[in-house]
Amino acid sequence: MAATTTAVDIRSERAKARRESRAVLFRKPGFIIGLAILAMWAVFAVAGQAITPYDPFNDFAKGHLPPNPEHLFGTDRLGRDVLSRVMIGARDVLIVAPLAAILGVTAGSLLGLIMGYYRGIVDDLVSRVVEAFLSLPVILVALLTLVVLGSSTLVVVLVVGILFTPIVARTVRAAVQTERQLDYVTAAKLRGESGLYIMAREIFPNVLGPIVVELTVRFGYAIFTVATLSFLGVGIQPPSPDWGLSVSEEYTNMISGKWWPTLFPALAIASCVVAINLIADALQSVSSE
Amino acid sequence: MIRWLLRRLVLSLITLWLLATIVFVIANVLPNDVGRTILGPFAPQESVDALNAKLGTDDPLPEQYVRALRNLVTFDFGNSFQSGRPVIPLIVAAIGRSGLLAAYALLLTIPIAIAAGLFAGRRRDRPADRAIVLAGLTLSSIPEFVIGTFLVVVVGVQLRLLPVLATPPPNASIVDLARFLAMPALAMAIVYFGYIARMTRAGTIEVLESDYIRTATMKGLTTGQTMRRHVLRNALVPTVAVIGVQIGYLFGGIIGVEKIFNYNGMGQLMLFAAQRKDIPVLTAGVIVIGIVYMAATLAADLIIAWMNPRARAESGR
Amino acid sequence: MDYSRLDRVRRSATPLELDLVEAFAQGRITRRQFIQRGTVLGLSLASISAVIAACSSTPSASTAPSAAASASAEASAGASSSTAPAAGGSIRVAIQKPVKVDPIQMQDLGGYGIVAQSFEFLCTLDKNGSDIAPGLAEKWTPNDTGSVWTFNLRKGVKWQDGSDFTADDVVATMGRLVAAGNSGLKGIIDEKSAVATDPNTVTFNLLSPNGNFPYLVSVFNAQTVITPKDYTTGTTLDAKPNGTGAWKLDSFNPTTGATFSRNPTWWGGQTPLDSVEFVFFDATGPMVTAYQGGQVDCIVQFDVLSGEALLSDANTNVIATRAALHRQIWMRVDTGQFTKKEVRQALALSLDRPAMIEQLFKGKADLGNDHVIAPIYPYFDDSVPQRTRDIAKAKSLLAAAGTPTISAKLHAGQLLEIPDLATLIKSQAAEAGFNLEVAVESLDTFYGAQWCPETPKDPPCSGAAELGIVDYGHRATPDVYLNAALKSKGIWNSSQYNSPEFDAAFGEFQAAIGVDAQKAACKKIETILNEDVPIALPYWYNYLAGSAKKYSGIYSSALGQMFFSAASQSA
Repeated sequence: MAATTTAVDIRSERAKARRESRAVLFRKPGFIIGLAILAMWAVFAVAGQAITPYDPFNDFAKGHLPPNPEHLFGTDRLGRDVLSRVMIGARDVLIVAPLAAILGVTAGSLLGLIMGYYRGIVDDLVSRVVEAFLSLPVILVALLTLVVLGSSTLVVVLVVGILFTPIVARTVRAAVQTERQLDYVTAAKLRGESGLYIMAREIFPNVLGPIVVELTVRFGYAIFTVATLSFLGVGIQPPSPDWGLSVSEEYTNMISGKWWPTLFPALAIASCVVAINLIADALQSVSSE
Repeated sequence: MIRWLLRRLVLSLITLWLLATIVFVIANVLPNDVGRTILGPFAPQESVDALNAKLGTDDPLPEQYVRALRNLVTFDFGNSFQSGRPVIPLIVAAIGRSGLLAAYALLLTIPIAIAAGLFAGRRRDRPADRAIVLAGLTLSSIPEFVIGTFLVVVVGVQLRLLPVLATPPPNASIVDLARFLAMPALAMAIVYFGYIARMTRAGTIEVLESDYIRTATMKGLTTGQTMRRHVLRNALVPTVAVIGVQIGYLFGGIIGVEKIFNYNGMGQLMLFAAQRKDIPVLTAGVIVIGIVYMAATLAADLIIAWMNPRARAESGR
Repeated sequence: MDYSRLDRVRRSATPLELDLVEAFAQGRITRRQFIQRGTVLGLSLASISAVIAACSSTPSASTAPSAAASASAEASAGASSSTAPAAGGSIRVAIQKPVKVDPIQMQDLGGYGIVAQSFEFLCTLDKNGSDIAPGLAEKWTPNDTGSVWTFNLRKGVKWQDGSDFTADDVVATMGRLVAAGNSGLKGIIDEKSAVATDPNTVTFNLLSPNGNFPYLVSVFNAQTVITPKDYTTGTTLDAKPNGTGAWKLDSFNPTTGATFSRNPTWWGGQTPLDSVEFVFFDATGPMVTAYQGGQVDCIVQFDVLSGEALLSDANTNVIATRAALHRQIWMRVDTGQFTKKEVRQALALSLDRPAMIEQLFKGKADLGNDHVIAPIYPYFDDSVPQRTRDIAKAKSLLAAAGTPTISAKLHAGQLLEIPDLATLIKSQAAEAGFNLEVAVESLDTFYGAQWCPETPKDPPCSGAAELGIVDYGHRATPDVYLNAALKSKGIWNSSQYNSPEFDAAFGEFQAAIGVDAQKAACKKIETILNEDVPIALPYWYNYLAGSAKKYSGIYSSALGQMFFSAASQSA
């Protein structure tokens, strides 16, 4: 009976701690800025053509017009409005990247929990596989797989997600190993709780902090990775106005001074990743405090 | 120490075997008509069938798998599907060029990044620190290909300061080599800067907060003395670790950079091979990169052990 | 018209030549087409000049010399060395990284470009870039029916190792080509066809008459470079650099580049340049970057998409070669939503072709009229009316077909401007009532899954999507387009077009030997295809190459071969 009361106390304390760290989080300017930028892209992606100044797909002006009052970001090689395309270009990447990150973090956390909790043979075996995966350059393997399987949104999500799994697993494993030596785990074991229960109800809530941080970090890397894959021609496919794809379609024109169809999507990629990193940074400092 | 090294070597071999298996699975996951891939969509079916028989791609998968493992042991991956030339010399030449580029980039970035990291760590949360952290974050967030393109346009084409082609003429002098590789190396250095500076900063902060530094400060050592005697060495531990572990990631970024600068390194070789489904080149390439990665992590571990006696003791377990 | 001059030519002409001379004299073919056809049939330069002079002059013949001179300049082969050789120098050339430099088995433009520096063809490229001219063969003549062709080889030609070039080398090369299943020669000649009648003469006994045979042993069939007798299939240029050509291979690195220096014993004389250096690239973008950065002087091929900057660059000579390069928008005639002719016509009518040419090629393309007879072919008939955009008509045709709106997937491969073309088609066709969804895939996937899936095998391509865009390269004659893409059960017939009327017209074209007959057959083909629209064909785009202004005398085929033997550098 006493043990249950303690557990309840611990849980409500945890909830309180979470509320407090949330308050701290919202006082961090980096977090607010990051969230604002991300929210802006999310709004553009959802609202789409309803708010773009021109039809980003069917409105052909003269090709490669420099930025001017009518086309603030100029026009691309076919004469489409770059601003409208950059606004709507968030769509694919904001679906693909979060899904890949969630997939990678979910699978990685499960693996990490198991490895960290059971140690021994299980850990050794899975660690070998994880290390083999880790020694693969993510972009290269993604390239290889996408070439073999053919590019589609689903395949990109799966490939990037799976490649992130071992990286997440390693981080979570380290966090779990620290936790499992603590008294509350020992107490739970003495109570005769099952491994599954201990992992799910005792350890998991305590490693949630690092997992959330990992999720945001992976989200940033996912955008980076998906953009690079699109640039290499195996990621998001035309006619999407995706940023990485736009850069790969237009970058050679920068030489003749037509920098605008490349610069703006590139800036959009950078803004997105920076925003996510700002959020991750804030989360990290809060969870380590 | 010897036991630890042996253990590491055995584990590395197991990892290599797993790596070969993973690549084999990826390459064979779909019914992939190798003959059709090599000869193209316009070739007559008879020639495709003949080629498949010759290459043994029609053999049962277990047989092919055994062959793949034998290739790994003998380190003979056969000939490229596309050019018909042996794979290993191709890879060796390409990895040499990429290694040169990566080394150049690290050379450019490590001194600056470590200095910036130490500097920021000592001024934690002050404006200079925030600026360095933000700059590092931003620079390492932008894909290499974006930074590379901006460099091409501004430095190569508009200002004409540096050559836009990264392949130096044959028999180029060291100075020429440095000039030709400057832009791609810079593009990669900018990205690495963020990683390394942030790691060094974190290491510095951790060391500065530790008890023994407080003791040292109380003993009356000057800041300079403290930094030299204690902080530098310990703060660099995570930095070395990150450089070792990031080798794989660095290779990913190199693909984009090499594409833009048309530098014939590993990235270009792999991209070219991937687009043409040149499985022998891809397999050998991934394995070789895996070996480089493991060698780099091992080297990083050794350096860490040398720098940090505590880690040496732990790794001996 | 100077009839007495014309008669002199007529008297010495073979029946095929006579047919051509008549066609020109009566104004049925243009001067350009006459020169082109005359060259193919092996009419001597003197005869061509004489006919042109006769037809363009009055009997007084006072203007004849100048007309003859201009004609001969236009038709002259690329062999003659420059009249004022500049003082040496070198040129650095950006080229696609060659996949194979095995002359017999190569399949890529990079390989063609490198191999053609050292090895030569029986019929080389004329300086204007789209016709053939005497190469290792000085002269060729058909028999009356076009079934036997005799090639007189150039005398005194030496291999770079010093041995003599003879008819045996030609026969051996043809044997290797037949054994390797060369796609151009398959079904045209077999292993016994080429015979060395004497050391300087080769006679080809064709399996069936072919009026275009010289094209098949020319620069336009890139694997037909003549290699020494002791060469074997699989030997690469760098393993055995021993050609007859103007350039000798000095060094070759499969990933970085190749260098060539002047062959001092070349039959064409001393080349103005001392050496040619090739730098290999994987994509056009970096080539353009390197060119703009001054690290190469010349680009073997670029596309408007990534090389737009060069088109307006004052320091660049853009070499635009009109070619038969094109895209076909296929529509399934047997199943799906495009089975009705009206629907296919409506889609073709909705296309704004001049806008496409401007947006995608900055004007560097010819209009297409939904048939595969390119305007550059001498037998092209321009009397079939050009289809222009007519949205109202397209709408009424769709309504007549009972389907005022059509929703379909437009499949395309990831290649050059094709994704952009798909975008434009989607947008233009929307106004007529087509609701198209663009689906772009990697080229391999696209070919295998949409264009011509391997199953079901019979008829070929019957697993194709109902609507898609496929790329076709340059061919010196339209036979492949007609035979593979449009004939019933053709191997690349993804529209599943099946028209006895068309097949008959194609048969007529194949059997036609004289230019009149070929042109008449082409008119039928053009009319049928334009009416039935199994494929829409919006444009024929130019092959683009470029070099720095200080170089002159460079010319290029539409197949990646660039010729530097007459190139020189100004100070």
